[in-house]
Amino acid sequence: MYRKWLYMETKQDNLNPQQSLELIATMINQVKGNMLNGSFYFLLWGWVITFCNVGMYYFFKYTEYQNYAPIVWTLCIPAWIITMIYSSRQEKKAGVVTHLDRISMWLWIGLAITIFPSWIFGAQTNWMVNAIVLMPVGLATFLSGIIVRFRPLILGGITFWIAGTLCYLVGPIEQYLVGAIAMVFGYLVPGYMLKKSNQ
Amino acid sequence: MLAELDPLLHSQLRLGVMSLLMSVESAEFTFLKEKTNSTAGNLSVQLDKLSEAGYINIEKSFKGKKPLTTCKITKKGMKAFEEYVNALKQYIKP
Repeated sequence: MYRKWLYMETKQDNLNPQQSLELIATMINQVKGNMLNGSFYFLLWGWVITFCNVGMYYFFKYTEYQNYAPIVWTLCIPAWIITMIYSSRQEKKAGVVTHLDRISMWLWIGLAITIFPSWIFGAQTNWMVNAIVLMPVGLATFLSGIIVRFRPLILGGITFWIAGTLCYLVGPIEQYLVGAIAMVFGYLVPGYMLKKSNQ
Repeated sequence: MLAELDPLLHSQLRLGVMSLLMSVESAEFTFLKEKTNSTAGNLSVQLDKLSEAGYINIEKSFKGKKPLTTCKITKKGMKAFEEYVNALKQYIKP
């Protein structure tokens, strides 16, 4: 119906108040559901962090090069570069940025800032990174699930909270396995489901 | 006494654009054109009017070699939109 109105766009005074309100409501509805697809990020980071956790576990459990183990986390640097390039391209492609897109972006940047010191000073916590990191990751994932109204992501967030708590109960090496499993169920499974639902 | 409706907003295309911009952070020209089903020429004229009134900010840049126009609603625009909606409510009240 709004098309009919807008074809008459040059006639300015034929809008009655009821039509004006309906036009406003129609336009606002046009923007609903316009959120950018986030499955790419969950899949990218799901695989990267799973790999890092498995790598740490392998180095600590089966090799003598434990001092070099934290090197696997440098994989996060290219992942960040890919994330930034991809998100910038997506924004340009969509032609519109919603408030929820903006909230979502700052939520994940905020998460990165929150967990960054735990990577830098990992040695001081005996590399118990997962115990520290999984709780805020759970919060960000849970809230993302609420924002995009996608239950598997909400459950993913809860998975991270459970796994983060579990990390305090297992040994410092086993917590990497817990982290890897949490990534599979917290990021990868919901990520693939989100991708499928967007297709 | 009924409040006067802002003539700048009481036009189908300008009201459509303002409603869209109220709901987003920023939107490109092509997005606005598609959602309002308007012609590029008319949309461009109406955007200029809104920009001159200080209701929106128009930023012109380039996407590769193509020109890119991005629009954002200003605080003045938000206030005008809210006042317009409040005035509308008075007309609709039984």
